[in-house]
Amino acid sequence: MKADTLRTLSHHAVFVSVVLGLWEWAARTGFIDPSFLGSPLGIIGFTLENLANARLWGDLGYTLMAVFSSFFIGSVAAMATGLAFVTWPKLEAFCEPYIAAMNVLPRIALVPLFILWFGLGVGSKIALGVSLTFFIVLSTTVAGIRGVSQDHITLTRSLGASSQQMFFWVTLPGAVPVLFSGLRLGLIYALLGVVGAEVIASERGLGQQLAYLGSTFNVNGVWSLLFDLALIGVLIMKLMNWVERRLLHWQ
Amino acid sequence: MIDVQHIDLSFDGTQWVLQGVDLHVKSGEFVALAGPSGCGKTTLLNLCAGLLDLPPGQRLQVAGQAPKLGSREVAYMLARDSLFPWLNALDNAAFGLKVRGMPIAEARDRAAKMLKQVGLGGFEYRMPKALSHGMRQRVALARTFAMPSPLLLMDEPFGSLDAQTKLQLQDLLLQLCQEGNRTVLFVTHDLSEAVALADRVVVMSSRPGRIVADVTVPLERPRSIRQLQTNENFHRTYAQVWKHLEEGWVHHEG
Repeated sequence: MKADTLRTLSHHAVFVSVVLGLWEWAARTGFIDPSFLGSPLGIIGFTLENLANARLWGDLGYTLMAVFSSFFIGSVAAMATGLAFVTWPKLEAFCEPYIAAMNVLPRIALVPLFILWFGLGVGSKIALGVSLTFFIVLSTTVAGIRGVSQDHITLTRSLGASSQQMFFWVTLPGAVPVLFSGLRLGLIYALLGVVGAEVIASERGLGQQLAYLGSTFNVNGVWSLLFDLALIGVLIMKLMNWVERRLLHWQ
Repeated sequence: MIDVQHIDLSFDGTQWVLQGVDLHVKSGEFVALAGPSGCGKTTLLNLCAGLLDLPPGQRLQVAGQAPKLGSREVAYMLARDSLFPWLNALDNAAFGLKVRGMPIAEARDRAAKMLKQVGLGGFEYRMPKALSHGMRQRVALARTFAMPSPLLLMDEPFGSLDAQTKLQLQDLLLQLCQEGNRTVLFVTHDLSEAVALADRVVVMSSRPGRIVADVTVPLERPRSIRQLQTNENFHRTYAQVWKHLEEGWVHHEG
């Protein structure tokens, strides 16, 4: 490990220790009310207990399954729609006002409808995740395809490339860098949508556990799950960065 | 090889881009198309490549037929290297062959030989970002020459290079053309490049593009760019082409 990295890590360790130390001291001395703000040792205690609980892992699997399903369905649908829009600009012009209206609609407001249509199970969570992922990936797909180098297109046209060759050999790889930024954001939004829907109404999932802990005033538990969710978000970003490095090693 | 008969072209129906253009290029000839920016040189080249549609009733034939996209008779080279950044030098050089249906192994084999010929042996697996500007243009040359097309359409391929690299690549192009017996239509705004490379320099006027002169270059082949600098015929022809170009401006302004 490089000296710079070690130094940065030690700075973070000192900062986090000071913040947690002050927080614990304030909770113990009554400076803050731990039943509203929790305490670091209480959070660690809950986390260790929860890690040994099969329910956490079940809920984690349930949430992640919904997140990746939303991401997959939303991204594939968005990329297909984006491709159709670029191929038939008149279709894009026709759909534009509807897409714009749906995009500005606070998607969380659709949860009651999704619950009516898909029930309390995973379906309504996936639906909300898809509704968030779709528009982000759609706009980057269109931007990515439109941003493909005109020189590359001219050269490939002059060679008499078929539509498939043009798409798979030029358009798709040329659009990937922009598309990937949308996919990365889309995955985070899928997590946001799924957990949001679980918090509102669900039978299972980390969001449901979070809502339950909040409603029973288990503040340490809420903090613990929030840290878990932040960790999941960071790991998802790391995963996407890894995939991006593999796919876009040429950049 | 190229037969253009009295072509008139306008994109918007009000302003002529090309007017009364006649151009005939024989098989094995190297013809440079010179003229000021915006005179329609690239438009004429794109018409020959089939990248632009010919207005109805106009006659332009390439290798005995109307130009069409993807014709195996034609290889096209753009001003910028336009290498695909996600492909290594070898796959970039093999790209044209692969698009035209050659099996991948055979295309790579041919491209590797071509890369060696342009002085990039050992650089086959380098990505474009790891190559200099001149090296990238060499890969683009290899991609163009790897295709066995008898007609090469080149649109200011060395226009963005520094002077020294430009001279090296001009020499390389002369060498490749002499070995391959290709017909070349070469667009440039650099008169010394036109005279140094071509058998004939066709001079176009400012918009609307008209052919104002067709100058035969009295220089023998094989040529070397360096030796041409001290060749009297080279300088005389350069002056002659320059004069025609000036007349084209006067004609346009008049």
